[in-house]
Amino acid sequence: MITTDKLTKKFGDFTAVDNLDLSVKEGEILCLLGANGAGKSTTINMLLGFIKPTSGTAKINGLDVIKNNLKTKESITYIPENLMLYPSLTALENLDYFAGIAGKELSPQMLTDFLKEAGLQEEAFQKRISTFSKGMRQKVGIALALAKDTKVLLLDEPTSGLDPKASNEFGALLQKLKKKGVAILMATHDLFRAKEVATHIGIMKDGKLRQQFVAENISLSELETAYLDTMNYKEALS
Amino acid sequence: MLRYNFKYELRLLLRSRWIQILSLILLVLFGFSTFNGIEKVEKRKNDILTAKQQVKESDAAMLKLLDSVERGLEVSASPWTIPTNPMNVGNHHPRVAAMEPQPMAFVSTGQADLFTHYIKPTVSGDDFALNFTEMTSPVQLLFGSFDLAFVIVYLLPLLIIAFTYNVLSAEKEQGSLRLLASQPISIRKWVFQKLILRFFWLSVLVILSLLVVFFLIGVEPLEWTSTLSLLGLTICYMLFWFALAFLVNLFVGSSAKNAVSLIMLWVIFVLLAPSVLNQLGNTLYPMPSRTLMINEMREHKAEVTKRQDEILDNFLRDHPEYAINDTTQSRNFYHSYMASQKVVKEALEPIVSSYELQLHKQQEWSKKLQWLSPAIVAQESLNQLAGTSTADYEDYRDQVIGFAETWREHLMAYLYNNKPFGQQDYSSLPNFQFSYASNTTMGVSALVLLLVAGALLVFGFAVQGKSQKRGLLSN
Repeated sequence: MITTDKLTKKFGDFTAVDNLDLSVKEGEILCLLGANGAGKSTTINMLLGFIKPTSGTAKINGLDVIKNNLKTKESITYIPENLMLYPSLTALENLDYFAGIAGKELSPQMLTDFLKEAGLQEEAFQKRISTFSKGMRQKVGIALALAKDTKVLLLDEPTSGLDPKASNEFGALLQKLKKKGVAILMATHDLFRAKEVATHIGIMKDGKLRQQFVAENISLSELETAYLDTMNYKEALS
Repeated sequence: MLRYNFKYELRLLLRSRWIQILSLILLVLFGFSTFNGIEKVEKRKNDILTAKQQVKESDAAMLKLLDSVERGLEVSASPWTIPTNPMNVGNHHPRVAAMEPQPMAFVSTGQADLFTHYIKPTVSGDDFALNFTEMTSPVQLLFGSFDLAFVIVYLLPLLIIAFTYNVLSAEKEQGSLRLLASQPISIRKWVFQKLILRFFWLSVLVILSLLVVFFLIGVEPLEWTSTLSLLGLTICYMLFWFALAFLVNLFVGSSAKNAVSLIMLWVIFVLLAPSVLNQLGNTLYPMPSRTLMINEMREHKAEVTKRQDEILDNFLRDHPEYAINDTTQSRNFYHSYMASQKVVKEALEPIVSSYELQLHKQQEWSKKLQWLSPAIVAQESLNQLAGTSTADYEDYRDQVIGFAETWREHLMAYLYNNKPFGQQDYSSLPNFQFSYASNTTMGVSALVLLLVAGALLVFGFAVQGKSQKRGLLSN
C-alpha cells in the first residue's frame, strides 16, 4: 500500500531523506522512530505530495504521489501532531465538512456512528472543537479516517502530548484500523507506544533508515538499546 | 467541494461575526454617505429654487414698474434700472440657467463641488464661461465628499481587503491547512471557492444594505434602472478586488505580507494612479495661464473702450440686421458697449479656444488612460450615473453659453432698434431649459472591470501551480 523507492529529499546541501526504501502493506503498522530532524516528517510530507522528492519515488496503492496527487489522497488520511480543525464548528460539522470535501457524502446517522466508533463521547458531538482536548481532536481525525474508508493512514507524532489514557485509547483505535486492513505509517518518538501498536518498527537517522524490525520479534528493552545505539546516545548517557 | 464550502462558509462567517460586523459597517457607511449626498442635492435644489424665486419676485416688480410707465404714472427708478430699457432688463432681470440635479445625483458629488450649477447670464456681464467654478472650501476639496461613490470606490476595497487577505494564510497559521491539503482537493480551487463565496455573501450584504438605506432614507424617485446599474457596477468593481485578493492569497504568503501587499495595491490603484495620470496630463498638455488670459482680456477691453464709437460704426455696418427697424438713429452708452463686447469676444476667441483645446486634450488623454485604474473607471461611471461628470458640466456650460447668446441677441434687437421694452414683451423673453443628455459608459465600464477580474482569476489558475510548493505547506 505504501512504498518508497530510493526516496531522497535535499534542501540545498542538507539531505533530509536519503535513499529511503519503505513498504507498508495492508493491515501493517510501521512506526518510524528517530530524533528530531531524522527525516520522518519529511517522508510523510513527500507521501502527501506536500514536498516534491529530489529523486526516487513514493507510491500509494501503486500510484506515484506526485503524478497522481489528488487520486492518492482519496485513500489517505493524515493526522498531524496537532490536528487543527475549525474551532467554531462542532465535531459533527468538522467531520461532515472534511469528509464532504473529500467526496464522502454522509448522513447525520453515519457521521454520528463514525464519531462513536472513534471513541468520542456522544455529549461532545455537538460541541465546538475549540472546547476539545488534543486527544478528542485526534479521535475526530480517526473518525475522518473511518468516514473516508481510508486505506492509508499517515500519522506524524500523533501521541505526543497525550496523557497515558488518551495515548492508550489512540493505540487501541489504531489496532481497530489495522484489523480493517488499513496500512499505517506513524512517525513517533514514543518507543513504548511503537512497540505496543506496530507490526514493524524502523529507526531513522540523518534521513536514512538505519534499522528495521518486526515488532513481535523484539522486546522493548532491545528496541531501546537498538535505538540508543543508532543514535550514538550510549556514550552520552554513560 | 463547492456544496460543502457553501454550506459551512456562511456558518464560519456568522460564528466569527464577520457577517454581522460587515452588515453594520455597510449600513453605517452607506447610510451616512447617502444622507450626505441627499443633503447636498437638497441644498443644490434649494439654491436653484431660491434663485428662481428671486427672479420671479424681480419679474413681478419689473412688470409692476412697466405697467406704471405704460399708464403714464411717475415712477421712481433710475435710468440704469428702469425696465423700459432692454439692457436694464438684460442686466437686472436675468433668467436662471440652472442645471437641475439628476435623480441619482446623491450617488456622487463628482464635479458638483467644483462647478456652479446655476448662473444668471446678463447681457453685459463678463464672459461667465470663464468664471464657472464654485467657491468651495479648500479643506473640502482636499478630502473630497463623503458620498456613496467615495464609499464604493475608496472604502469598499478596504473592507474587501480586510475580509479576504488571509483566506489561505490563516489556514496555515491556525494549522488547518495541512489537514485540508491532505484531502483530494486542489488548494487553488479551494481558495477560489472560498473567495467566490465571500464575494457572493459580501455582494448580498452590499445590495441589501444599499436597498435598506435607500428605502429608509426615502430616495425618491428611486430609478430602478439606475439603481440596478449602480449595483451592477459596484459588484463588478468588487469582483476586481476579490480577484486581486485571490492572486495575493496564492502568491504572497503570510497574513501580514498579504495585508501589506493588498494595501499597496489599493494605494496604487485608488490614490496613485489618478494622481499620476493627472500630473502627466498637466505635463503633456499644460494649460495656458488663466491669469494671463484674464489680463489679456482686460487689456482688450481697455483698448476697445477708447475707440467705442469707431467700433459701433463698424459693428452696425457689419451687422445692419440689428438696427433694421430703427428710425431714430439715437445712440447711447449701451450701443457702443454691446458692440465693443462683441469685438472683445471675437478678439479673445483664439485665446479662449487654446485654453479649451488644451483642457479638451487633457480630458481626452485622461479618458484614454482611465482604464489603467479600476478606481478611476468606477468613479467616472458613478459620476456619469449621478450626472455630475466633467462631460455633464461641459454640456451644461455649452448650453448656458448658448442661452446667454440667445438672451443677448434677443435684447440687442430692442437696443439697436431703439425699441423700449414693454409688458407685452415679457412673455417672449427666452428661458433656459437644461436638457440632460445621458453620456454614461457604465455598461462598458462594468464589462471592462469584469474582463480585468476574469483575466486576473485565469492568471491565478494558470500560473499558481509552480508557486504552490513554495513553502505554504512545509513546516
